[in-house]
Amino acid sequence: MSDSTPLLELENIGKFYGNIIALQGVTTEVRAGEVTCVLGDNGAGKSTFIKILAGVHTHDEGVFKLEGEEVGFNSPREALDRGIAAVYQDLAMVPLMSVWRNFFLGAEPTKGVFPVRWVDKPLAKGIAKEEMAKMGIDIRDTEQPVGTLSGGERQSVAIARAVYYGAKVLILDEPTSALGVKQSGVVLRYIVEAAKRGLGVIFITHNPAHAFPVGDRFLILNRGQSMGNFAKDEISQHELTRLMAGGAELEQLQHELEAAIASK
Amino acid sequence: MSESADTADAEAVEPQSSAEKALAASAAGGDERLAYRGVFQRLFVRPEIGAIVGAAAIWAFFWAVSREFGTAGGAASILDVSATLGIMAVAVSLLMIGGEFDLSSGAATGTFAIITILLVKDVGDLGGAGLSLWVAIPLSLIIALGLGWANGTMVERTALPSFIVTLATFFILRGFKLGFSKLMIDNLTVGRISEAEGRGYEFWEPIFAFVWVRNDHQLGIRDALYTIGVVGGLALVAFALAELSFVRREKLNSGGVPVLAAGVVGVVAGILFLHNSDGVGANTVGAVIIAVAGLAAFVGFGLWRFTPQAAGGVHIKDSLPMYLGGGVVLVLLGAICAVAFDVDSQESVLDLLGFLRWPIILAVGGGFAARAYLRNDSGHTNTLQAVINVASIGIATGFGAYAFMFMTTEQGLRSILFAVFVLAGLGLLGLAATQAGRASPATRGVVLAVTAIALAGLAFFIRDQSASEKFRSELFGVLLATALVVLVWGVISTMFERRTSDHEAADNLGSLVAKIGMGAIAVGMIAKMLFTTDDELAAGVARAQFRISILWFLGFTLFATWLLGRTKFGSWIFAVGGNKQAARQIGVPAARTKTQLFMIVAVAAWLVGLLLAFRLDTVQSVAGNGLEFEYIIAAVVGGTLLTGGYGSAFGASIGAIIMAMSKQGIPSARWNSDWRFAFLGLILLTAVIANNFIRTKAEASR
Repeated sequence: MSDSTPLLELENIGKFYGNIIALQGVTTEVRAGEVTCVLGDNGAGKSTFIKILAGVHTHDEGVFKLEGEEVGFNSPREALDRGIAAVYQDLAMVPLMSVWRNFFLGAEPTKGVFPVRWVDKPLAKGIAKEEMAKMGIDIRDTEQPVGTLSGGERQSVAIARAVYYGAKVLILDEPTSALGVKQSGVVLRYIVEAAKRGLGVIFITHNPAHAFPVGDRFLILNRGQSMGNFAKDEISQHELTRLMAGGAELEQLQHELEAAIASK
Repeated sequence: MSESADTADAEAVEPQSSAEKALAASAAGGDERLAYRGVFQRLFVRPEIGAIVGAAAIWAFFWAVSREFGTAGGAASILDVSATLGIMAVAVSLLMIGGEFDLSSGAATGTFAIITILLVKDVGDLGGAGLSLWVAIPLSLIIALGLGWANGTMVERTALPSFIVTLATFFILRGFKLGFSKLMIDNLTVGRISEAEGRGYEFWEPIFAFVWVRNDHQLGIRDALYTIGVVGGLALVAFALAELSFVRREKLNSGGVPVLAAGVVGVVAGILFLHNSDGVGANTVGAVIIAVAGLAAFVGFGLWRFTPQAAGGVHIKDSLPMYLGGGVVLVLLGAICAVAFDVDSQESVLDLLGFLRWPIILAVGGGFAARAYLRNDSGHTNTLQAVINVASIGIATGFGAYAFMFMTTEQGLRSILFAVFVLAGLGLLGLAATQAGRASPATRGVVLAVTAIALAGLAFFIRDQSASEKFRSELFGVLLATALVVLVWGVISTMFERRTSDHEAADNLGSLVAKIGMGAIAVGMIAKMLFTTDDELAAGVARAQFRISILWFLGFTLFATWLLGRTKFGSWIFAVGGNKQAARQIGVPAARTKTQLFMIVAVAAWLVGLLLAFRLDTVQSVAGNGLEFEYIIAAVVGGTLLTGGYGSAFGASIGAIIMAMSKQGIPSARWNSDWRFAFLGLILLTAVIANNFIRTKAEASR
């Protein structure tokens, strides 16, 4: 699979807000069927990075190639039309609405002729159920409000929705950050599942323990700079953690802490 | 349970990487499966369920205390009041689900009535265009759409709360109504729309103001239709509930079918026997035939379709004997009180008690004082203050007891004691049934059988005792039917296994049959309400007038329910009210949706304005002012969430009917109608609390 053109190629991408360098020199690639993890602590530039990918912002320098063609998106809609779907932390869900309504929100399949048009409920429910089943989750009653689902299930609804709408690249913004251990495991499995179905997945996280098992490629960001872009066989989980926290900074901090404890 | 235990064990044994954990979880089938929710639990997720229960309770209450309720005339006047209120409440509920308010909606109804009248009125130079209704009606509709659009656009563009923006439009409309009426016709009473005679009035008048008098329409088979519809419908609903509740047999047992058929034939025969015979003895025989046959029908149905279960032994232990015995004793106490006190006596309880009054007052006052002292409610360390506190509590409660006895007649005391004891007793029996369900099915069956006997006993007792003919005839039937339902449920829930998982075919069949049953009940009841019989006419039954506004109300409610439940736009309404940011992110045109909602409210106000104008012919320029809160109350009573994103149009129409019932019921129960607002406030408070409770229950399934 690695012989083909990558879905996404990024070379030396940079973004400036006035005189602040939000992101600089970021290089990575996303291949179909692979998971690219973007790791970084708070303020590392992860948000800026996904906003560029999802079309919220345009990059100021570097090359952004989608399926070998150089692009620059002006709106999220444009990115979505090209098959780049972002699932944000807040999931864009309406908690009091049923699963199937949330699944199809904004793109409900309809029946009938204008002006008498109605939502094809059995079809919509069936598809929602089926798509969820493909992600390995059995939603028995798609009429259930999304608010009653667990965090992991909600995440899976959002992912299934993005996949259904023909996403080729799926950007997941911190999908496990608010979840417990077991729930995170469930979501990690969906990530692997989505990649297996041929999508390129970009998994943004600050937890190397979550990233390492599922990722095929790792991009580490720190204070807007790329700390490296590794394939899985080039790096260990320990190394990943060290780099993510800023390498030397972490060691420095460790010494300081030890000193502080010793002086007590 | 075992899954999580496995995972916990695995974690305890050796630390794993998160991928291995994920794999372990998946190997254990550890996706978060949704728990099975039973029929009733699923029903309770509906926002309008609280309103429906409330409407039934309020109707039953007024039915018990007033004479007009429960007659066609009463229904017509309730529906008449609810129609205009309901159209607006439904529209306002849509807007509220979309997360906005429209405080100008009340004033707008009057505004469009006045605009239409002024457009057709010919008053020479000063104004009043003297237009034909064919022009005036579409023109005022366009103005209405414009007003809704303006409200919506202002709210969206300025991003101010709609509360403030529409408060401003409310005052503007109020000013315009007064100003224009004065300016154009120098009168605060704007009329008359009938001046448009010859200019379309003949065509439009019946559309907005047609009156249908029921006494003009007779239907000989009405009572038969009513009985068949209601009894058959209830039976279908009951069969459907059984289908939804019990586990189907793998292979149907045809042996149950003859029992079922015999039961149904028996019930029909029983009803025919009751219909063709008179006298207490025959009635009792008929009731027994129906009860036995009904039970047989359900048992046969169960034997045919459902999996039997082991009933287990009867275990009456723990607190169960107390609940069961307490319930029976309380019901009996109620009956004893009803017999002991004189039904016609208007004598005050104070006189009835004679010298006993003082010991009672002292006991009540002393008791409360002692309780306050023992619990140290006063919280004072200072002895004097504590004494004063305890003493004042004692005196106040003693005086309260005195006042109660002074104000209550013997007749009143009789009904109060009877109601309190009987309701408390039935409540205890209900508690006993839930308790017993945990012990074994057979135990619950026994408790339910006792409850059914208590209910049947009450039915006969009330028939013999009650002074009111209404209670003697109608309540007797209601109580007997309830007793039968409890008995049947007790027997079949003992015999057959309850479902704990989905069964798609059974669920679909069950809900289809339930819908047919409810349709049949509705047909029966509507027939009873709409038509008279020769007998009734001969007895001089009151005229019941149904206005066409009821049809508009019905149509608008159906339209809004369809819109909310079945269309794209409906999904968007929920979405913009529930989480506007998310809706926008995902491509819902939020601003447009909200503006359209404001326009729907304005069109509803236009419709109500026309209904008012044609009905009253002249409209006061203050018409509609201040009604917007009634619309909001009706919507909230109907289960619409004040913060948006949840609610139902059907619920709002029920809310409007509840408000109309209180408007009509209070005077017809011979209370001073000044108390109406206090009653409304109480209803609102109860509704909000109940809806909140239901919603948290529904959502707390995880």
